Amino acid sequence: MKTENQVIRISGKQDYKRTFVFFALIFWFLIIICSLANASVREEMKESLVYLEISSYGYDQLRPWKNTDVEQKSGVGCATGAYHVITPAWNVTDAKLIRAKVSGQNDYIGVTIKTIDYEVDLALLELDAKMMKKPLRPLRFDDKFERGAKLNYYWLNPDAEITTGQGYMDRAELLRSAVSYSHLLNLIVTNTSQETGIGQVFCEGMRVLGISCWSKGTNEAGLIPSVIIKSFLSRAKNINYPGVPVTGFATEALLDPAMRKYLKLPSNISNGVLVTKVYNIGTGSDLLKKNDVILEIEGEEIDAYGKFLHHTYDRIGYQYLISNQKIRDNINFDVWRDGSRQEIRLQAKNFDVGEMFVPFYEWGQQPEYVVIGGYVFQKLTRAYLTNWGKDWEGKVTPHLFHYYNDMAFKPTLQRREIVILSYVLPSQINLGYTDLSQVVVSKFNGMPISRIGDIIKAQKLNPDDKYDVVEFELDNPKLVIPRQQIQQANTIVSNNYGITKLVHINH
Amino acid sequence: MRFKNLELRIENSKLHLLLNDFKAVFLFFVICVTAIEVKAAGLDGIERSVVMMRGTGQEFDFVTPWKPKGMGQGVGSGFIIEGNKILTNAHNVSNNKYLELQKQEVAKRYSAKVAFIGHDCDLALLTVDDNSFFDNTVPLEIAAELPGVNTAVETYGFPMGGRRISVTKGIVSRVQMDVYAHTGADSHLVIQTDAAINPGNSGGPVMQEGKLVGVAFQGLRQAENIGYMIPTTVIRHFLDDINDGKYDGFGSLGVMLYPGLHNPGYRDYLKVPANKQGIVIIETLMHSSAESVLKSGDVLTQVDQYTIDNDGRVDIYGLKMDLSEAIETRQIGEKVELSFYRDGKLMKGSVTVALNRPIFEIARQYDINPRYVCMAGLIFVPATRNYLESWGPEWIKDIPFYLRYMFRNSMQLNTDRERKEYVVLSEIMPDEINAYADEFKSEIIESINGLKINELSDVQKAIEKPDTNFYTIKFMGKDRPLIIDAKEAQKRQSEILAKYDIPKQAMLGE
Repeated sequence: MKTENQVIRISGKQDYKRTFVFFALIFWFLIIICSLANASVREEMKESLVYLEISSYGYDQLRPWKNTDVEQKSGVGCATGAYHVITPAWNVTDAKLIRAKVSGQNDYIGVTIKTIDYEVDLALLELDAKMMKKPLRPLRFDDKFERGAKLNYYWLNPDAEITTGQGYMDRAELLRSAVSYSHLLNLIVTNTSQETGIGQVFCEGMRVLGISCWSKGTNEAGLIPSVIIKSFLSRAKNINYPGVPVTGFATEALLDPAMRKYLKLPSNISNGVLVTKVYNIGTGSDLLKKNDVILEIEGEEIDAYGKFLHHTYDRIGYQYLISNQKIRDNINFDVWRDGSRQEIRLQAKNFDVGEMFVPFYEWGQQPEYVVIGGYVFQKLTRAYLTNWGKDWEGKVTPHLFHYYNDMAFKPTLQRREIVILSYVLPSQINLGYTDLSQVVVSKFNGMPISRIGDIIKAQKLNPDDKYDVVEFELDNPKLVIPRQQIQQANTIVSNNYGITKLVHINH
Repeated sequence: MRFKNLELRIENSKLHLLLNDFKAVFLFFVICVTAIEVKAAGLDGIERSVVMMRGTGQEFDFVTPWKPKGMGQGVGSGFIIEGNKILTNAHNVSNNKYLELQKQEVAKRYSAKVAFIGHDCDLALLTVDDNSFFDNTVPLEIAAELPGVNTAVETYGFPMGGRRISVTKGIVSRVQMDVYAHTGADSHLVIQTDAAINPGNSGGPVMQEGKLVGVAFQGLRQAENIGYMIPTTVIRHFLDDINDGKYDGFGSLGVMLYPGLHNPGYRDYLKVPANKQGIVIIETLMHSSAESVLKSGDVLTQVDQYTIDNDGRVDIYGLKMDLSEAIETRQIGEKVELSFYRDGKLMKGSVTVALNRPIFEIARQYDINPRYVCMAGLIFVPATRNYLESWGPEWIKDIPFYLRYMFRNSMQLNTDRERKEYVVLSEIMPDEINAYADEFKSEIIESINGLKINELSDVQKAIEKPDTNFYTIKFMGKDRPLIIDAKEAQKRQSEILAKYDIPKQAMLGE
């Protein structure tokens, strides 16, 4: 027995050793394969990425006739064609010069923006083919989404060397980007090796899942997913880029049983999100009503948080069902309205940011203004308000913030913009008025001011009057400008304050 | 997150040094010390009239008003005036629970009472029942005129809680209008001295040639050697006001003014003769008597005997002062005669001086039990500065937008003549009935079941209406209402009150 046992034991040890050796070999083999694969991906990525050097030259919002200092930024371009790359739109805001570096080439390559869409935070850039030694190798975009998947990401550093990092796919979410007013699908990656956010390309193997557009240190990074990139590229093929549909309403979660009862929602309906605001622009602005409960969009059930079950991304915001449509497509809504279920067919719409009552951004554009006798009139924008710095929302004049906070998406035919007297450049003509600032213009020479261009029209009114008279909201004094003195005063103000152009109006 | 008011407590000293929001002005008990001159022996008449006060106060909680805040104790100064009364600062005795006085050389403490208190002018008048308190004292005589700039003054008081009177000398540096930090909103004449300031003895007399020329009360935090006293003009107004047995306060014309005549074009547009000066009326305040007399675009040139210049100032007390100083020579209810230009014509009119407070009270309040209504665990309170200051030192930036908007612009934005105040949902006492109400906290109530909420008592009226299935509470600037199941709320009311030790459903004041 003893001998047998020993034999058996010896035999067991031998099996164990054999098994160990077998799996060790397999393991080593896999490591080698993976390393080779990674090395291979890394090598291939060299031919698909570009390093972007961007010189931005925006405008001083408080002195809109003047540019800000030149700012140098860097970004990553991801090849979508032989001479085309995409990068987050945020990278190239107010860009005056964009240059690219590619692997294996020392000299810079000229870059132009072909299409830019701030709402999807993407820009399609074209590289100067004549300056390139060889074309880029376009990457393939894949909609794959797997929670917890380990991702590699790649970018070219300023020396055009490929660099890598790693992170883990966590979730999909609809978010507003730093430059947008609408919500767009983002993939959230956690525990990244480095801070990202400038277009680093995130891959699983050779499959590109998205490019990074923001990061919170190394905790989280947001990716513009492939599905958004592909539809952007598809739209960019049009001569006139049509844009992405955006919601023309706002919603809030409908969890409160008392509120549901108040809206007469039957107990067998437990889903639905509440429409709390209907804008004057965007999808649904013409047909939805405040207090509608959105139950379904395109047959997808919308839960009380405003999310639906997506086959790939799990629960994501209903805005996705609007933004992934084409402009003018019909979108079917099931809503609960006035105690009954109703079907509504909406048309997918978008709008230019300039149509907003208080535009969120005006990248690449000089702010509109008119200077008359040292009085600086400007169009109110979010970019203007953010000049108050950190915590600007609590610092800016409340009446101006009210227009941004409550009315930004509600222009009317009668009033399309908010025009303010930003401040006064002191001069003889405006003696006694120099402390007046941050007030909203209501009328100019009796004419209601709908947009800043109206000031120029209003100046021509009442030609026999001695004065231009400006009225403001909220009990401010009338501004009285002697017409005969304006020309001379404008010359003095221009010279004193270095204003090369007294008027800039886009429309 | 909310913080209590910035409140610097001084060791052994009651006085709450409340930081003014707009200027770092603070209230102080001690006036020091360019040249400390504590007289060694014997008390002159002035020193015998200066008393030390020890007070115990308790602040109110303006978020959950049934809960008083912690108590505080401190020491301040006061002095005896004609009629066996003691004059001191209001901030020494605000929210007071118990007050005792002590004279320097007498080892007895006397219980005192606040007879009158004027928070807007930071003055209070105290009485002592025990007449022996006034033995061997001399009431201080109030000077007939303001002290001149660059003249010497002496301040008396008990700095840093010391037991001996400190006497310090300083020079009058400036006489001007300024904000009184006690309420943070009221402006009156102040006299600035160059005395270095140490926290401690507010309420002490400031003397010149043996007569009272002011009451020491606040200092400028970010500057050295800038202290302020309340001048005799303000003291007299206060004392005259209480002659009828109640304190009414300082009034105004109820107009918004703009110094627009500096601009020749504006002057010409308003048809004001070139040789005339005045100030432009931008708007009249709702409910003011000026509403029916003046209108936007009028140019006020004279009030009573005072001619107004283009800066809106008048010659008074031999100085150029804001027009409001001329109005402050009048008591509430008195009329002033006005001259003003309208469309090129010189007009006359009279306006009654009145409190003319904004709908959203911008002055800090004291000695008033905060009001509230509790319904379904929702606490409704009037929107006041005290409530806003619960956000801490940077409250003006940190408060929710609509509170800031109304605080700043209620006079321009409110068009409802019935509105008396704004009401806010200050707190939610958690219960299943209000489980989804969090997002409405700190928002201003617009209406409940269609009833416009123009004052706190309207909340009570709205929830007492019978046969209601829901309380539909609409908020200013919010696009969705808060819906509360009315029947369920009524059922749960007593349980919620008991659970959170809320003594009663509503405390609506007088």
